[in-house]
Amino acid sequence: MNIEQLVLTVLTYGCLYGVMTVSLNLQYARGGMINFGTVAYFAAGAYAYAIFTQEPPSGLDQYAFGFNAPWWIGVLAAGVASLLFAIITGWPTLRLRGEYLALTTFAFAEVFHSFLLNERRIGNGSVGLSNVNRPDFSVIGLEDKYAFATAAVVLLLLTALLCRRVLASPYGRAIDAIRDDEIAAETVGKDIKRMRFQVFVLSSVPIGFAGALYAMITTLVSPNLFTAEVTFFVWIALVLGGEHTIKGVVLGTIALVTFEEVVRSFHFETVRAAEIAASVEHIMTGAIFIMILRWQPFDRIKKKRAAA
Amino acid sequence: MTDDILVVDKLTKRFGGLKAVGGDSGLSFKVKRGTLVGLIGPNGAGKSTTFNLISGVLPPSSGSVSLNGKDLSKIKTSDIASHGLGRTFQTPRAFPSLTVLENVMVGADSPGERLMPVLSGAWRGTEAALKDKATEVLAKVGLEGRLNETVSNLSGGELRMLEVARQLVRDPEILLLDEPTAGVDPSLQGKLSSILVDLHKEGRTLIVVEHNLHFLLRIADAVIVLQNGELLAQGTPHEIKNDQRVIAAYLGDEYAA
Amino acid sequence: MTLIAQYFVTGIVTGCFLILATIGFSLTRRVEGFLNIAHAELLGVSAFVTWGLNVKMGWPFLPAGLFAIVFTAFFGLIVGRIVYDPIRKLGPAVLLISSVGVAYVIGGSVDALVGTGIRSLNIPLATTYRFFGVRITDYQMIVVALAALTGLSLAIFMTKTKTGLAIRAMSDNPGLAASRGVDVQQTSRATWLLASGLAGLAGVMLALIATLSTDIAFHQILQILAVAILAGLGSLYSVLLAGLIVGVAMDMSVYFIPAGYRPLIAFAVVIIVLFLRPEGLSGRKSK
Repeated sequence: MNIEQLVLTVLTYGCLYGVMTVSLNLQYARGGMINFGTVAYFAAGAYAYAIFTQEPPSGLDQYAFGFNAPWWIGVLAAGVASLLFAIITGWPTLRLRGEYLALTTFAFAEVFHSFLLNERRIGNGSVGLSNVNRPDFSVIGLEDKYAFATAAVVLLLLTALLCRRVLASPYGRAIDAIRDDEIAAETVGKDIKRMRFQVFVLSSVPIGFAGALYAMITTLVSPNLFTAEVTFFVWIALVLGGEHTIKGVVLGTIALVTFEEVVRSFHFETVRAAEIAASVEHIMTGAIFIMILRWQPFDRIKKKRAAA
Repeated sequence: MTDDILVVDKLTKRFGGLKAVGGDSGLSFKVKRGTLVGLIGPNGAGKSTTFNLISGVLPPSSGSVSLNGKDLSKIKTSDIASHGLGRTFQTPRAFPSLTVLENVMVGADSPGERLMPVLSGAWRGTEAALKDKATEVLAKVGLEGRLNETVSNLSGGELRMLEVARQLVRDPEILLLDEPTAGVDPSLQGKLSSILVDLHKEGRTLIVVEHNLHFLLRIADAVIVLQNGELLAQGTPHEIKNDQRVIAAYLGDEYAA
Repeated sequence: MTLIAQYFVTGIVTGCFLILATIGFSLTRRVEGFLNIAHAELLGVSAFVTWGLNVKMGWPFLPAGLFAIVFTAFFGLIVGRIVYDPIRKLGPAVLLISSVGVAYVIGGSVDALVGTGIRSLNIPLATTYRFFGVRITDYQMIVVALAALTGLSLAIFMTKTKTGLAIRAMSDNPGLAASRGVDVQQTSRATWLLASGLAGLAGVMLALIATLSTDIAFHQILQILAVAILAGLGSLYSVLLAGLIVGVAMDMSVYFIPAGYRPLIAFAVVIIVLFLRPEGLSGRKSK
């Protein structure tokens, strides 16, 4: 196990997924919205980046679009793509509550996934788009892996700052009030639908950027990278960190990523052993998830501190 | 401006087959600007439901409510507050995530609640003034020492005061109060009474649902009596006290007690 | 023309399977009050227990299937008591989110024990019958027959037996039911047994007519959700109609659009129903 490699991977992916967890935190813990379709906004960003930065189709390529634009246009496109997807999926759904919202967002994400899988013109269907463009980091003299780690950290910091800015303001106050008691919030003039929609759409933008970063790192976008597994991963990280504070959810994400990377780094004798390890990891993640939801250790710690 | 700030016209509300408000012909009454109106009736008379209909929490089955001539059914519920109507609830509602002070500050319409000012930070100038106003209002209801506490520390009566404060920071033209004395210490009721009298003197219109008739009939200008969701009687406190129908239906036992 | 009829018939079979898979899910929703995402994993448990007994231990199909159903019923009960009962007070949203964790645990366990790869039962090859130019196998007919039988039994159970009436009372108004002498604990237990048993039955059917892989359970949840939502969350009788509609829609869609979009039909149903008529076919307002 190469320690430096492990640290770098944990940092990069921890921060990258951390961006999604922080956004999800804004949507759920503060905004009271259950979004089970998070992966779709991630995928929208990744695919937008890939499509905008790749060369136009030629030869055997099945995809239809490629704009060969520079990487920063790709990143912008990623943000816009997830923003648009959030507007389209958010506007009609946000009047739904709780489990209905969870199901609809989940359904939308699966529709999108199916779409990517079947419409070859968008992204080569199940084959996906490979050789995704990476920015040229030689300009700043950093090796790719260090540059990406830095980029992930920066993106996370920017996302956290954005959330902080929104939450530590009258807007955040109003959002908290709405989450606590909608009817009372309405009697003091809070427009619930408008604010929820804004939070939903705003928090999707960092997810899109994370998607672009992901595409850069893997240089591959294909539908099987963007399944509901990703959504549930982020959700588990959210709960693990004690959904509420930004610091907490980031730590939860890093813990989960570390756990996964450590398991992955073991060398297994047989394929079967590796499979079992992956399954056990799955089981443990689920079990810890359930236990945290049940015993809510973070709430207890918070209450103890408040009472003291 | 018309003399009637609130006009309720043939209002009905049905839940399934149950006629909660308005019976068959609908509930109709008018509220004159600047008056303190008592809304009384036995349990289940439909008083809170009427409040919910007026404040937009429930949509009417038929009929209409007009505020300053504007039909409230055409307005979004959250906009009703910006037209000058506020209300409190039978069971006080507070925001547990916020402190006492924040509970009142969130009552106001801060520019920081719009997305652009939040992102640009342009709201910061207004916070101080809002904080001052909220503190002032909290002092009026006697909660000035509890500003930074969590609402879970507050008693039922204090929560009611908090609700009133949250509405007051909005400077409402008309305020609907649902059983404001319920759960309030008899010693605090005097304070509540003087708050309502002050609001009345400031020219605001108040509609108060109350079971405590000793409290209400002393300060009200007019009284509306509901029974089974329909209008039983309306008039001055004196008229109502002596109205046989009202005594028979409700008042007799209460006032004797 | 025959092709459409063929797709229609296949759709009925799929629909009948979906009915079996979803009734337990809707029952859980109705009595326990939340959407149990892990319900689909129970299908996997049942299917692989059947496979394990049949292929690995040489049991004939029938006893293997019966054992699997009973096993799954009790398994579901244990999970319900240990995991969900203690957190019921936290509300349906938390229960929904927790069920994702449960799905992970159950799914991971099945993965670990069974391993990847395609599996099928050790049973005689299906015999195909032809009616009016449409093909159907004997196994498929079993699914249809069982769905009909289940529907009927459920109707009798819910209207004539003490437990069935208790379940109905509890789902409509738990507080009132309790005050009228309904044993809430016992009814809850009965619900878990029944719902999980039904999932077990669906799992055995799955083993019968489909090829098994360890991720098959997850793919079912999406379709189960579609049927449950179309029926109206918490409604049971409407599941019968909703299951058939979704099954037929999915299979007949293959005639018009590429086969890859078949699962999409289920999701499209979810989205359309939630926008136009969230109460679903039954018109029942859920809590």
